Amino acid sequence: MPNERIPDMGSTITIEKPVFNLLLSRLKEEGYLPIGPRVKNETLVYDEIESIDDLPQGYSTKQKPGNFRLVHEKHSRFFDIIPGAQSWKQFLFPSHTELFAMRKNGKSWEISSQPMEPPKYAFIGVRACELAAIQIQDGIFMREDFTDPHYRARRIHAFVISVNCTQPAGTCFCTSMGTGPRVKEEFDVNLTELDDVFVLTIGSEVARRLLAGIPFDDASGYILSNVERKLEHAEHQMTRKLDSSDLPNLIIDHLDHPYWLEIGKRCLSCTNCTQVCPTCFCWDTQDEMSLDGKTTRRNRLWDSCFNPGYSHQAGGNTRPTIYSRYRQWLSHKLGTWKEQFGTLGCVGCGRCITWCPAEIDITEEIAALRNEVNR
Amino acid sequence: MRYDKADVSRELEKIPWFKEIERKHLQRISDISHLRHVRAGEILFREGDQEDYLYIVIEGRVALDIFIPHRGKIRIFTAEPWDLFGWSSVIPNIYQRTAGAVAVVDGLVVGIDSAKLREACDADHDLGYLVMRRLSNIVASRLLVTRLQLIDMFASPEDKNAK
Amino acid sequence: MTMLATEIVRTHADLLLEPHWAEIKSIIPEAADIATYWIRFVDSDEQEAFRFEPGQFNMLYLPGFGESAISISSDPQDHEKIGHTVRFVGNVTRAVSRLKVGDIVSLRGPFGSHWPMKEMEGKDVFIACGGIGLPPLRPALYHIIQNRDKYGKVTLLYGARTSGDLMFPKEYEDWRKAGIDVEVTVDRGDANWNGRVGVVPMWFYQFRIDPHKTTILTCGPEIMIRFVIFEAMARRVPLDRIYVSLERNMKCGQGSCGHCQLGPYFICKEGPVFRFDELQSFFNVEEF
Repeated sequence: MPNERIPDMGSTITIEKPVFNLLLSRLKEEGYLPIGPRVKNETLVYDEIESIDDLPQGYSTKQKPGNFRLVHEKHSRFFDIIPGAQSWKQFLFPSHTELFAMRKNGKSWEISSQPMEPPKYAFIGVRACELAAIQIQDGIFMREDFTDPHYRARRIHAFVISVNCTQPAGTCFCTSMGTGPRVKEEFDVNLTELDDVFVLTIGSEVARRLLAGIPFDDASGYILSNVERKLEHAEHQMTRKLDSSDLPNLIIDHLDHPYWLEIGKRCLSCTNCTQVCPTCFCWDTQDEMSLDGKTTRRNRLWDSCFNPGYSHQAGGNTRPTIYSRYRQWLSHKLGTWKEQFGTLGCVGCGRCITWCPAEIDITEEIAALRNEVNR
Repeated sequence: MRYDKADVSRELEKIPWFKEIERKHLQRISDISHLRHVRAGEILFREGDQEDYLYIVIEGRVALDIFIPHRGKIRIFTAEPWDLFGWSSVIPNIYQRTAGAVAVVDGLVVGIDSAKLREACDADHDLGYLVMRRLSNIVASRLLVTRLQLIDMFASPEDKNAK
Repeated sequence: MTMLATEIVRTHADLLLEPHWAEIKSIIPEAADIATYWIRFVDSDEQEAFRFEPGQFNMLYLPGFGESAISISSDPQDHEKIGHTVRFVGNVTRAVSRLKVGDIVSLRGPFGSHWPMKEMEGKDVFIACGGIGLPPLRPALYHIIQNRDKYGKVTLLYGARTSGDLMFPKEYEDWRKAGIDVEVTVDRGDANWNGRVGVVPMWFYQFRIDPHKTTILTCGPEIMIRFVIFEAMARRVPLDRIYVSLERNMKCGQGSCGHCQLGPYFICKEGPVFRFDELQSFFNVEEF
């Protein structure tokens, strides 16, 4: 029976699906901007969510190397989709940020505008792999010795409603990277969707406060075992594997292996993998000066190690060939990242596989490199 | 200034390489060598000369240069104490100097008669082996320097584009 | 999860890449397309507080054009002004070449690691550098000169393409007088050049190096550095006493933007000065 209780920290409850709208309005009352998956321009994006009706009910995604299809399957579930090209990175670390603008004042310049206060985001439907990616980027942009003010301003207020994946896509391999499909920590609310109810686990005091007065039930043993069964099923469904047992050394010890040249022949250096990757963090700056030379805007943009200009320096280009740029990407992601940030830079979300126009599959390439090395 | 044979061997003995070879071989080379005092600007040989000595610098600095019409003399290498130059004179197939040599400061060099050195090497293959091994070291290091000069390692990418 | 309750360490200004204005006090041409800019922060407190270690660099910013990493080439004890030796090769530095005395630029820094001035005390120092590799070593030379008795034999072996490309030639005599053996070589001489002709790595053999008590510092074109290291290894100098300063595409100076990576290192943060044993496995991989 619905009640007026406040759920306990760490407790698991169930709510009727329409009740989710109450949670959305609470978030909005508290000044949050709810962002979630929705169908727009015939594809799946992360965008503002007004109500539960904006979520992609009845949709699933079919994904394989170089291929993404959004299909309507006439089921009634809201969270069966597996994310598309977009990730939460675009909100915490936008592809384009104006850092500041300046106006010329005599010989000197003065700052004429500073960055606007970003919205307080509520992220709805954050997958386990995506949450792991956010944690990785937290470690990059909020290091002890350097905190990026733009990332920090967006990140510290972000309210996270995570979702357990029960229907992995064909390119998912989060079990190999130890990140999913089940969400373990670092959420405000974690959601599992069953056919008739949402099962919520409370992860923060902020979440408790927001849920106060919302009608809920404590989750029964039947519900909990049902959730467990679905997650086990999802784990078994995930056939794609990446053996990370010998990483990062497999890569770092074989940087001059001829197999890199093989991959280089297929890679188009299009930068898709780095754009869709939720952990890729490289950025560049750009000055946008007015024609009269009196004002300029300093912008930050995503960059990619696949861009030829990325490694350009006074002595020329350090990585003039495609193979060397692919090797930089992979040897960073699954190699030197570990020494830099303590983990590998891959969360197993499979985006780089789905969105590679040349169908290069990171899991197969690692297996192939291993075969070549051990031959 | 006149030098006698004892002076020549004394100078040669200072050179680390000669310390490693047998007395009789040192003597043999010393017998066909002379000491030559050079003044700054003094030309030891010119490109195309058939002057036939292998030189070792004892003191000073000797520059090797090649004359390029309209550009003048380009210095490609300098020899410092204990450096050897004029090695092409020992290689039987090269009959003339491929570069000129000029002392850039006052100094002292040993000149070894190349024709006699070739004869000595032919007559005593042990000596010949030592001399050729030494020469191959010299040529190898000269080749490395030439490669690094050829790479033009200080060039900026803009220079390359201009070419 | 929201992080309201989480204490986050903040060590940098809220304005990312915040400019710090500085005025060009003088410009000294050094060679073709190279000049030293003597710069002073507009805010005198900022100038007074600025300290750097030999080998570090600043990010020089020109509004509308962008930023470029420039090594600091002046005396670390000179707190009045900061010297930046610039080669005009990119968009930013070409714009710098059009600046005049009195113009305003921004400086961020200092960034990066530095030469092991402390670790080298009591030891011989052999500096092998080429071309524009001398400016980042000049602060180290000044430091050695000011603390000459703390170091053993100090040799500077410096090479440039031609005699006209040599940096700071007027200072060599002062350095020699201060007890530094300054040896210079050029790739190509003309009839007026009476100094050495050859390349830096080759001249090593002319110097007696005690491998047990010598530290080698090297900076210049990477190809030169490679051969200097070959020579140093041939002389049995241990790899952990060879220090190399590398150049990459530095953009943020804070190990954040990713551009200057070499293996696990952000050259702007862990570099530009590396102990060679830490670099060896990545240094010789082609196009890495």
